[in-house]
Amino acid sequence: MNSVFADPAAWPICIVAGLLTLAGVLLAGAKIVPTLLSDIVTLAATAIAGGMAAVLAMRIGDHPALYWMGGWTPRQGQAIGIAFLADRAGAGATAFAGLMFTVAIWFARGHFAGARNHFHVLMLLFLASQCGFFFAHDLFDMFVWFEMMSVAGFALTGYALRSPSLDGALNFTILNTIGAYLILMGIALAYARANALDFSAVRAIAQGQPDDPLLIAAFVLITTGFLTKAAQVPFHFWLPDAHAVAPSPVSAIFSGIMVSVGLFGVARMVWEVFAPCPVVRHLVHVGLMSLGCGSAVMGAVMALMQRHVKRMLAFSTVSHVGVALIGVGLLGQQGLGGSLLYLAGHGLIKAVLFMIAGIMLSTLGGIDEIGLRGAGRPIWPAGIVMGACALVLAGIPIGPLDAGAQMMDAQARSSGLHGLTLVIGFAGALTGGAVLRVTGRVFFNLGPTSGEEDAAPTDDEREHANRPFAAQLVPVLALLAVWVLFGIVFASGAEDFALAAARDMTLDADFFPRRGLPHVTPVLPWLPALIAMAIASADLNRHHIPDAVYGAFAGASRPAFRMLQAIHDGVIGEYVLWMMAGLVFLAGIAILGC
Amino acid sequence: MGEALSLLPWIGVVWLFGIGLYGIVTSRHFVHLTGCLAAIQSSSYLLLLAIGYRYGAVAPIFYDKKPGTQAVDPVVQALVLTDVVIGATVSALLLALILQLHKHAGTVDPQAMRPMGRAGVADGRQRRGGRVG
Amino acid sequence: MNAVDVSSREAQATIARRASVLRGAFAALAVALVVAAWPVMRAMPQFGAHPLIYGDRVNAIGPAERHITNMVSAINFDIRGLDTLGEEFMLLCTVTGGTILLRGGRGEDRRAQPGCVRGRANHRPPDSLRLLCRMLAPLTMVFGLYLAINAVLTPGGGFQGGVVIASALLLIYLAEGYAGWRDALGGEFFDAMEGLGAALYALCGFAAMGLGRPYLAVFLPLGSLKSTFSGGSMLIVNLGVTLAVAGGFATLLIEFMEETRALNPGDDADG
Repeated sequence: MNSVFADPAAWPICIVAGLLTLAGVLLAGAKIVPTLLSDIVTLAATAIAGGMAAVLAMRIGDHPALYWMGGWTPRQGQAIGIAFLADRAGAGATAFAGLMFTVAIWFARGHFAGARNHFHVLMLLFLASQCGFFFAHDLFDMFVWFEMMSVAGFALTGYALRSPSLDGALNFTILNTIGAYLILMGIALAYARANALDFSAVRAIAQGQPDDPLLIAAFVLITTGFLTKAAQVPFHFWLPDAHAVAPSPVSAIFSGIMVSVGLFGVARMVWEVFAPCPVVRHLVHVGLMSLGCGSAVMGAVMALMQRHVKRMLAFSTVSHVGVALIGVGLLGQQGLGGSLLYLAGHGLIKAVLFMIAGIMLSTLGGIDEIGLRGAGRPIWPAGIVMGACALVLAGIPIGPLDAGAQMMDAQARSSGLHGLTLVIGFAGALTGGAVLRVTGRVFFNLGPTSGEEDAAPTDDEREHANRPFAAQLVPVLALLAVWVLFGIVFASGAEDFALAAARDMTLDADFFPRRGLPHVTPVLPWLPALIAMAIASADLNRHHIPDAVYGAFAGASRPAFRMLQAIHDGVIGEYVLWMMAGLVFLAGIAILGC
Repeated sequence: MGEALSLLPWIGVVWLFGIGLYGIVTSRHFVHLTGCLAAIQSSSYLLLLAIGYRYGAVAPIFYDKKPGTQAVDPVVQALVLTDVVIGATVSALLLALILQLHKHAGTVDPQAMRPMGRAGVADGRQRRGGRVG
Repeated sequence: MNAVDVSSREAQATIARRASVLRGAFAALAVALVVAAWPVMRAMPQFGAHPLIYGDRVNAIGPAERHITNMVSAINFDIRGLDTLGEEFMLLCTVTGGTILLRGGRGEDRRAQPGCVRGRANHRPPDSLRLLCRMLAPLTMVFGLYLAINAVLTPGGGFQGGVVIASALLLIYLAEGYAGWRDALGGEFFDAMEGLGAALYALCGFAAMGLGRPYLAVFLPLGSLKSTFSGGSMLIVNLGVTLAVAGGFATLLIEFMEETRALNPGDDADG
């Protein structure tokens, strides 16, 4: 008996099924279990799940192992059952998810008093489905976990039960459900050709028929679905609506890990299944990289335009995940490793920022940058944390975010793309500048505003935390400590691990191998951060800028800003049209690449 | 003729998906929109079942047939069963959200819902989301 | 309130104008997508006449190695049992989420007057309807049980059976009216049924591991072909699914029905 559980390949299913069982039991006893007990049990479960995954990542090492459910090992070379793949990429991602959930549930104590134990059940299922997704080695099984994660997300978004949050949840549900059906269609097409659902089996067919239209169409459809979850332009419209209105601990999970799950799915599909098709590689290299660039730039611009702090953070997520998508599109191990590291670094920082937004909502009673001017002075420690996070977002050369960016940059240079630094720097400077501006205005009372802006209507938003400020700040600081641990103390270890995970994920293939370049430090690594500070101070000191200069600038940029704003103020039908346009774009690149 | 007939199921899939999408794009009522989502979902059932179909074969139930009789693909049927559950869960959640929306906003018209801005329709009051404009 | 008032004539005109733009854009994009889909449709395997390797293998395995005759159940409960595990918990997720969303607006209090909404008549159901439903409800319940129990033999299974059982509750509602219905059914009971049923599925997998086999492997004697008790532990898994589905759908029905509850004078309409 002991030998069954000692096999590290069996751990993934133990993690997933253990979390699921606990959720079922907790729901059955929802009426009788005291909230404190379920808090403790849930926290312990998520922490243990993350810890087990971390140990698994260490123990499995260079030998990824498949675990066939029910003992249905392949027969005569044909897979019949479902397997979980224990490799460093999946285990590392699961460990990260466990960490994020533990901190988010800790932070959420007191936020969900109305939902009692149902909140814990949903969070456990949310985590379990993500773990299942990371480990799945079967197209349809991956889809089942993916959809379960979506369902948990839909319900959590609408929790506040106000008109905006319901509308955000509806947009989220409808767009992501259309995306899910696209994934299912893609899986069906792959099944029609390959008569198998296991990753390796479909990959073997793809090797035999690399130019098959069915497999290419399957990839386009599946990728579209995953990119919808990853909120990449033009599939991203649900994200600002949903992130802005979801309860802050849930937003932290959404930005910290759920969005990255979509990108993880794209990377898995590219490398584990469809990489033998040359058209798919072309599509990834051209199509996904351009979508990534588009997201990075547009998300950054939109972030700078927001005054609703959570919406600003949501757009910055679009921007940073866009950068990570470029890393996937580079089609090299180093690029993928950099992308994973970048996502981890971004997830930590963004979760911290969303928690601070939650603190603002519960202690200051609002989330509007202008309305809260100077209101944050009593809770200045949160302001300091927020300012530091803004600098990290802007790309100061410390920590995993920057290490990932450098790895991606090195990969890009070795395949002749020298502009990537510019995109990363642009995204960092604008998003960092936006967050710095909020910090200065809310916590340090900078930047007097004109009367006209004060009058802008704001919703009465508030979250009830029932906890003192200090108790809310502790989880935030804990997460920041983890960032310091991995960013500074174990910096090289984290880089090596990301590279090893990328090696596992790419099955040791490398279509654009790096040429042993040393890490090229981008020119003036502090430049994006300096630009971010310049942007923030220019915006905060607008009253010192001569009207002629400011007016000329504002006049020149207003039409573009207006247009972007109008696009993002759309209704669900318009968002669906944008989704179709994105699908046409990807299909067009695939057809032209044939 | 034979080839055209062979294409018919796939044309049906595209058609169902298309009308579902059209319904969502132009919908004026969220419950109607949920129905359109179900049409899209039906197209995925049709696709899966058509892929697993085989002329002259029996259902994959061997209670009254000899095991070994040519049967259609049971895998796609199992996938459709899971798909049905997914559809049911999403519809249930959507309807719950719509019910609450009706209570809180008094409307279930997607055209009236602009979560962060009020730019386009109606009164054109100052928007809340943007700093510029 | 964040919704925009669209009742005015100008608003309706704006919406109509936008709708025609939307239709045009939709037509253009749809044409583009159909053009892109055409080569894919041409490349699809010949309808009804192409090899089905995976399916044929499953059709061979089921009777020979598991002694069961319903191949869809063989896939759902054994060969691809992990999908069904995910599916059960997805249902659990929906029930939990739906409960949060619906209860959040009205609180957990169930004492208030049920079943009266302003503007909606609340008649006692006619006797003919009550008689019919009282006869049909137990029959439906039995039919659901039959479907669920014979999962491994004939079409049906825990999911189908569970849904039929839950829908029998609707017949009781028709016969007894909402007030009687709500008194007869306890929400906590169905919550427990749902949670424990799903947990039973997951635990059955662990039981296999405890016996030294892989997760979700079939244990227990397989029985003989065409016998109700064939398929070994698939029967336990099937029971878990039946409980979870019946409990889950019943909870959803109750939560939606509870929305017809009238607000007390003191209640806040906005929750």
